[in-house]
Amino acid sequence: MSRFYSVFALAALAALCASGQPGPHRMGPPGPGPGDFAFMGGEFGFGKVVTGAPYSAQVTTQMTQTLADGTHIQRSMTASVARDSQGRSRREETMSAIGRLSANGAAPRTMVFIHDPVASMSYVLDPNAHTVHQMQLSAHGRGPGASANGGTPHAHPNAPAVTTEDLGTQVIAGVTTTGKRMTRTIAAGTEGNDRDIAVVTETWTASDLQVVVMSKTSDPRFGDRVYQLANITRAEPDPSLFTVPSGYTVEQGRPPRGPAPQ
Amino acid sequence: MSDYNDREILDGLRVLASEEPRQAPKHVETFLLSAFRRRARRRRLTAWVTAAGIGAIAAGIATLVWLAEPMLKRAPVSDRAVASAPAQADSAAEVKYAVIRTDEVASSFYPLPEADALPPLESAMVVRVQLPLASLQLMGFPVNDEAGADPVEADVLLGQDGLARGVRLIQ
Repeated sequence: MSRFYSVFALAALAALCASGQPGPHRMGPPGPGPGDFAFMGGEFGFGKVVTGAPYSAQVTTQMTQTLADGTHIQRSMTASVARDSQGRSRREETMSAIGRLSANGAAPRTMVFIHDPVASMSYVLDPNAHTVHQMQLSAHGRGPGASANGGTPHAHPNAPAVTTEDLGTQVIAGVTTTGKRMTRTIAAGTEGNDRDIAVVTETWTASDLQVVVMSKTSDPRFGDRVYQLANITRAEPDPSLFTVPSGYTVEQGRPPRGPAPQ
Repeated sequence: MSDYNDREILDGLRVLASEEPRQAPKHVETFLLSAFRRRARRRRLTAWVTAAGIGAIAAGIATLVWLAEPMLKRAPVSDRAVASAPAQADSAAEVKYAVIRTDEVASSFYPLPEADALPPLESAMVVRVQLPLASLQLMGFPVNDEAGADPVEADVLLGQDGLARGVRLIQ
């Protein structure tokens, strides 16, 4: 009988070792290093196609959060955006963080996203490396493998109750906007919460430009975020902003295989 | 009647006790020993068969774990290295073309919990990042603490505000 137990113990040990040892497909070090993540590059950009309403602006997003111990966390992101009369759009952003994740590396990474529905192409330029990642867009004018309908790619099964109210109109950054406040109530017990959680989002949209000029989100779980356009110019942007500069190496991209989000 | 029977039984027991110890015939002893040996062999065989079965199951589980684990692991960065190709016939822009790997498999985009309340997407970007599996916790994913620093490759869907809406893992 003792021989039986020995055989069983060896088999179990072999199983544990096989699952714990690095195999040929396993990843090894190095990891991204200091910071929460490492940028590898832009894949593609896409968006709602709006023609006949050119503009350019500066984008600012500020995030503030107060932790339970009183610690305040503040982060901000800036970018410049432009759109021409044909609906081509460009966004240039220096990325140092994604939400609460901070990028590692000495210098933030600048990336330029160009969405060209006229040519059905998406370009992501890396000005430092002088490379451009280009990808053919789908017939609907948006990127492969991503959903553009709504705030999230998937809907949660336990959707909170939502109430919406109109906030009227106001001029923001020289543009007339109409406001809407959406309050989502996460009922007590849904996430282990002992009372209702109210998440409030205000959105101010310029109907002629068809862009959100300002939005404020207050979520007790994740803090406050304020997004705003500034220095809005309605002039036609320089056409060269929507083309790939010379001297760039083109990486012909293809969307990864896999299930597309609904 | 009862006393008579009791005496008879006691007398019989005394007679039995006074007799020589009895032994089984030799052929009975041989038969019993061989039967015991057969039974012992059957028990050993059953133990070995059981051990082999458990070992096979354990090895099967280990193989499944080993095969499934790469689904959450990124391919080496070197696989993504671009290989420049000769310039195409676009002399004006002096465009060089490169080929990137095309064997990637992506999961669906998983919505981030904090993206629920964000304004709808009017434009979006997808960026490729490499991050430790444990960092997905900061994005609201229920990742085991023991996941540690194992790096994974992921696409992050960012909205016009630069805030993340969803993540998909890349193999």
